[in-house]
Amino acid sequence: MSYTLQYAQIWPYLPTLAAGALLSLQIAFFAFCGGLLIGTAGAAALSFGGGIVRRLVRAYVTFFTNTPQLVQIYFLYFALPDAGFLLSSYAAVLIGMTLNAGAYLTDIQRAGFESVRASEMEAAEVLGFTRLQRIRYVILPHVARVLFPPLSNQYILMTLGTSMAAIFGVEELTGRALNINAQTFRSIEVFSVAAAFYVLITLAATAALGLLGRVMFRAKMRLV
Amino acid sequence: MIRRKLLWLLAATFGVVAAYAAPVEARTLDDIIKSGVIKVGVNPTLPPLGKFNEKNEIVGFDVDYATEIAKILGVKLEVVQVGSPDRIPFVASGKIDFVMGAMTRNPERAKVVDFTLPVHTEVFGVLTTEAKPYKDWKELDSDAITLVQVRGTTPIKFIADNLPKAKVTQLDNYPDAIRALAQGRGDAMIDVVDFVGEHMNKHKDIKWKILKDKPVDVYFCGLGVAKSSTGLKDWLNVAIFELARRGKTDEMWLKWFEIPMLYPTGVGPGF
Repeated sequence: MSYTLQYAQIWPYLPTLAAGALLSLQIAFFAFCGGLLIGTAGAAALSFGGGIVRRLVRAYVTFFTNTPQLVQIYFLYFALPDAGFLLSSYAAVLIGMTLNAGAYLTDIQRAGFESVRASEMEAAEVLGFTRLQRIRYVILPHVARVLFPPLSNQYILMTLGTSMAAIFGVEELTGRALNINAQTFRSIEVFSVAAAFYVLITLAATAALGLLGRVMFRAKMRLV
Repeated sequence: MIRRKLLWLLAATFGVVAAYAAPVEARTLDDIIKSGVIKVGVNPTLPPLGKFNEKNEIVGFDVDYATEIAKILGVKLEVVQVGSPDRIPFVASGKIDFVMGAMTRNPERAKVVDFTLPVHTEVFGVLTTEAKPYKDWKELDSDAITLVQVRGTTPIKFIADNLPKAKVTQLDNYPDAIRALAQGRGDAMIDVVDFVGEHMNKHKDIKWKILKDKPVDVYFCGLGVAKSSTGLKDWLNVAIFELARRGKTDEMWLKWFEIPMLYPTGVGPGF
């Protein structure tokens, strides 16, 4: 039993895979930004909201962090059309990943909100800051610094999580690797190259985030 | 000295090759009747032709068909599990008496095994809905068309070669692809249409349309028998005609495929 690796058979497909990797990065980026907005609003609601709002947000977080993302997107893609909402492949994946990320990021940011010292908040109140101003000028700068590492981790996880988009007809990196595998049957070669692309895009994302962290917070972030 | 060693080596090599290549005789019709058992190869990975049921037994159209053949011959049926790569060697070496499993007749295969009359056809064609105006698969070469296909299947290559302008949405499996089509996520699907009847029937409110008059291709599938078993093949041809004439073939087809055979085999009394 010996198998001869034939990477030359895969080279012609490199641009296709690279374009797929870009799409993976793009989906992760949009979903993360959307999730960050939901997460900030959710964390604010948990910290300052009334009883009903808090309960609703908690239900949302509990639901989305305790069900598989795959099932959530399946619901959006295949169940919603029966109720009259037809989401495209891309939209279903993006909305699903955003809602899922929003739940995790609510939880992560809630911890950040709670880590702000009570005295700082009281000082801001004494200075006449409104609630929104307190979030904007006191909490967020603090939260951003404390939460930068866990947020970066979430972003990397989401980049890798985009691989499930292939199931819903989005031709991202994994989808394209599956297609090329079906054409060439060079499984070892195709998937090892795809894996290398994933390493590449997550390392690039980590480096970019690390750099951002250094510039913004003078935090000692690992670049890679 | 060296020459003698070489000769030995040569002889040994030929001996080994000869032992492997020694023709294992396929059984004649008389052998089968005498033994009281006919051995039939069925591929369980091609539902509904062959699949495993909940008791892990192989069932399907092929098993029912082989059961009828055995009944007519008056022998017992022994189902042997075969896969796509080993099924033809199994017949050629006499491990099984004939093989089923969508054995499409083609000249390449016919160099190695003999084929009986066609038992059934397979239509490689277009599945769409009544709401769509298409009459011919060639009309689908347009960027306004979205084809819903199953990832990793052979029609993908056909579409890339013949309908390059059409958009393709690739999903994970047949139930998902048919559901996507039912939900209006695409205009049509190109595949072996016979095999999706079961999934089509799950969406009862959809008026499906199969472009029968202009199929992309029609495959004729017969039983594969060993080259040397002319007597067995002649008998099987009579049995195949008989099962078709009595309507048994169509009955079994409808039971397993849930839609009538799309393209008749055209087997007549004169074969």
